[in-house]
Amino acid sequence: MDRLIKRPRLSLALVVVTSLLSACGGSDSASNDTQQPLPVPPAVIPTPPPEDTPLYPKMTGAQASRLLHQATMGPTGKEIEVAAQTSANAWLTHQFTLPPTLHSPALRISPGKEQANYSNRIDAWWQVSLHAPDQLRQRVAFALSQIFVVSDTGNNLRGKPEAMVTYYDTLLRHSFGNYRELLEAATLSPAMGTYLSHLGNEKANVELNIRPDENYAREVMQLFTIGLEQLHLDGTAKTDDEGRTIATYDQVAIEGFARVFTGWTFAEAENWKWPTKHYLAPMQAWPEYHSELEKILLNSERIAAGTGPEQSLKIALDNLFNHPNVGPFIGKQLIQRLTTSNPSPAYVERVASVFNDNGQGVRGDLKATVYAILMDQEARDLTYAPSHFGKLKEPLLQTVQFWRELSAYSQSGFFYTWDLASSHGQAPLGSPSVFNFYRPDYQPQTLADTELVAPEAQIANSVTSIGLMNYHYASLLWRIDSLKEGDTGNQILIDLSQHQQHLAQHGPQGLIDYYNRLFFSDQMSLSMMQELLAVFEWAENKQPEYQIAYCLFLIAIAPEYVTQR
Amino acid sequence: MDRRRFLSMCIKGGVSAAALTSTQLQAMQNLLNQQNYTDYKAMVCIFLLGGNDSMNMLIPLSGDEKADYLASRQNLAIESPLPLSPVSQLPDTGLNPALAALQSLFEQGDFAFIAGVGTLRAPTSLSDYQNKRSHIPAHLFSHNDQQGRWMHGQEKQSLNTGWGARMLELLEAAPGFASNISLAGTNPWQRGHSTSAFAMSRSGQAKIHPLTGTSTRAQQFDAAISRMLRQQAHPLANSYSQGLSKGIAQSQAMNASLEGLAPLPGFSDMPLSQQLHTIAKVIASQSQQGGGRQIFYATMGGFDTHDEQVTKHPELLSTLATSMSEFHRAMDSLGVSQQVTSFTMSDFGRTLSSNGDGTDHGWAGNQMVMGGAVKGGDIYGQLLPQRLGSEFDVKGGRLIPQVSTDQYSATLAKWFGLSDGQLLDLFPSLSAFNDLYLPMMRS
Repeated sequence: MDRLIKRPRLSLALVVVTSLLSACGGSDSASNDTQQPLPVPPAVIPTPPPEDTPLYPKMTGAQASRLLHQATMGPTGKEIEVAAQTSANAWLTHQFTLPPTLHSPALRISPGKEQANYSNRIDAWWQVSLHAPDQLRQRVAFALSQIFVVSDTGNNLRGKPEAMVTYYDTLLRHSFGNYRELLEAATLSPAMGTYLSHLGNEKANVELNIRPDENYAREVMQLFTIGLEQLHLDGTAKTDDEGRTIATYDQVAIEGFARVFTGWTFAEAENWKWPTKHYLAPMQAWPEYHSELEKILLNSERIAAGTGPEQSLKIALDNLFNHPNVGPFIGKQLIQRLTTSNPSPAYVERVASVFNDNGQGVRGDLKATVYAILMDQEARDLTYAPSHFGKLKEPLLQTVQFWRELSAYSQSGFFYTWDLASSHGQAPLGSPSVFNFYRPDYQPQTLADTELVAPEAQIANSVTSIGLMNYHYASLLWRIDSLKEGDTGNQILIDLSQHQQHLAQHGPQGLIDYYNRLFFSDQMSLSMMQELLAVFEWAENKQPEYQIAYCLFLIAIAPEYVTQR
Repeated sequence: MDRRRFLSMCIKGGVSAAALTSTQLQAMQNLLNQQNYTDYKAMVCIFLLGGNDSMNMLIPLSGDEKADYLASRQNLAIESPLPLSPVSQLPDTGLNPALAALQSLFEQGDFAFIAGVGTLRAPTSLSDYQNKRSHIPAHLFSHNDQQGRWMHGQEKQSLNTGWGARMLELLEAAPGFASNISLAGTNPWQRGHSTSAFAMSRSGQAKIHPLTGTSTRAQQFDAAISRMLRQQAHPLANSYSQGLSKGIAQSQAMNASLEGLAPLPGFSDMPLSQQLHTIAKVIASQSQQGGGRQIFYATMGGFDTHDEQVTKHPELLSTLATSMSEFHRAMDSLGVSQQVTSFTMSDFGRTLSSNGDGTDHGWAGNQMVMGGAVKGGDIYGQLLPQRLGSEFDVKGGRLIPQVSTDQYSATLAKWFGLSDGQLLDLFPSLSAFNDLYLPMMRS
């Protein structure tokens, strides 16, 4: 079979994907009976404008690799090469200009099926994460999906893939917008309303002992905005005279906010009790089901009795948004998702200050906040960063990087991945609860003698770490396309031809140097290098594909790869 | 079960007894590494994630109690409760029919309820709560904080360890990894000062592909991986490295000990049943090795019933009851039910009042204890009136616990072999209560 028919090839940077090639991406799906969106075509690597000034010097290759590990879903060698032609500032600025690649258009129904299912929405996540040019936005949205948690694990949203991709799109659209707007959009998302049960929530009925549902009121405060304890700007907890932390809210505020989140249901519902489930548009209010009582908010702010649902929502979200905790609370978690598990208080303070004021008097500017996180000297300058700087790479992002670099594809065009919870300990929008896959303050027992946390270690137990090791092994050794024959259907294959060429031209050391840049940002240890060189000796009788795959597998499980520094 | 029966069970599963003699028996013996015991005991925690509406497990059948119940629970009130005949003189109380699978265990004396349990630092009155006295537990009604308080057995410390792991560390200086097993990943209960849980999947299998087989490749990977997972300079890299390295070695040892062990009969394919099945297999293997102590952690999710409680909650309880009774039968047929005690924990109870179609986060709740060592057929603690506005109601039917989680846990820890002094070490706030433990265990 002609390889070009199997999928679009992307062997060179900046290849313009022709209409012929991009059409091929979906044309060999087993069935053409149903109209389906095409898979997202492999990205044309966007070229940021060149910049090399004293303030914003051109990055070295190693610097570009570090930045892209922090700011993409997992960089490819070509992307790093392109980024190294310019400055960190220009690369980020350019990424901010790219339009969002949304997930809804990538939601495809499996051949022979009537409607999309769970594995189709996961397929959409892979397609976009692997191929979208707006990599920074995808990474930030993925981070936000772990703060504004909605999950279809163990609940009715499992059967609503459209609701889930629409929610993800909401996060993508607001990733570089204002936090206040993101907060409102997430609050009014029907997926969120279903997940945290404020959709269909009614005002009290005293005779029946019914009071408003408190679920969203509680979690929007505890997890999406202010957290449990009052914070300094640098993210450390404030304490009272006796050294105890100070709570941010009490049950009175819970009940006040619970009243705010009454009277909302699906858009265009004809009937309050049995609404048509419209997951694609924000929820709408029914004033007669909204609590008309007074609502007590944070800092004793009150919404007067008789205020309607939209106005109450606006006042209540403003009340949360303007709480001084939001900057450090959200800023620190975004830092943890992007650059380091243990930011210095000063780093958090610098980021929170930008959240509080982007320099033009605007609070909650996420673009400015993300820029501050990634351009901070602690994130950019290894000599400035503490020795524990960095984070464990999320298992999903490890697989994304390998599949991006190795142009993963399947003959059917679908990326079906089963039971990511077992193999990766996480799945996009698949947290076991609203508390995400891990707590921001999780400290594994191995760090007990330190002040350090490692949130991602919470999902690295003996089952998941061996599960992930097996997954890397299978996807790198058992899915090499040039060693496959016949119909491979839904198998996700990798293409090692570029690496083979590199090996043929530059030898083992040359390939390892390339890997050092790509996977380790030039920080590979000598012993790791020797380990990889040794592969070419003990596997000298093996095909080059296997020699390469063995190296890639060892890299995938190496402590120095798994730790993003 | 004696050794011969155990071996015969293995043979029925298609494994010859000879296969068990060498490496496997040795592997089994080294898993616990405990010298201090002549007997074997295991504790199985079933955590009901999300906050079980456990007040709705025990239903008042008559009198004012019933009228109060119907008034507070409204459309969430349970119809047709099953009769219970507890040993103690108690108000007429029935069982939620979704728990029918447990009724006979209760009646035959292998199962008990503990009523009115919740997080407390000291006995607490309504006025204490209203006046925000300092001994009110931190972050009431918050899922992860309350789960943590149950499992830590103490207020938040700089180092958050759980009472399960601390208990093992009190009993034995360096307990083997298989003394501390989780079927649901990382959790606060099993994280200690020097130990942490060994995680198993619910299938119990942990094949390690790259190291499987006898090829040069497998041998080279084995050697390369052990070199790569040495001490790392970066603390997070080191943490990962140690975790994976231990995970591989321990999984290999556990694989060897379970290899060829036939599935035990009587387990259905629900996730909790599968977790308990794997626990049962480990118990079948380890209880043959002489003395030792093991703690196990299993979970069931979905109990955060803010909506659709009328349909969801009975399904949850029914699944739970089925899985628990399957496990009890397995322990019985292995002949170890006296040595294995299972018990529930859950974030909190829920509000008696409704939010329309569900309930919100509450405080006190009821818990369940099962096993041959339990003085079953009874309800311990205090059955709280399901009345809004009672002296126990802080508001909306969030009830003040009359038994602390630590008293409940200490009772189990005492059965496991801890002295009163060790209990006070393990649960610092126990000293605020008159009784260190409840009379629910036979010894």
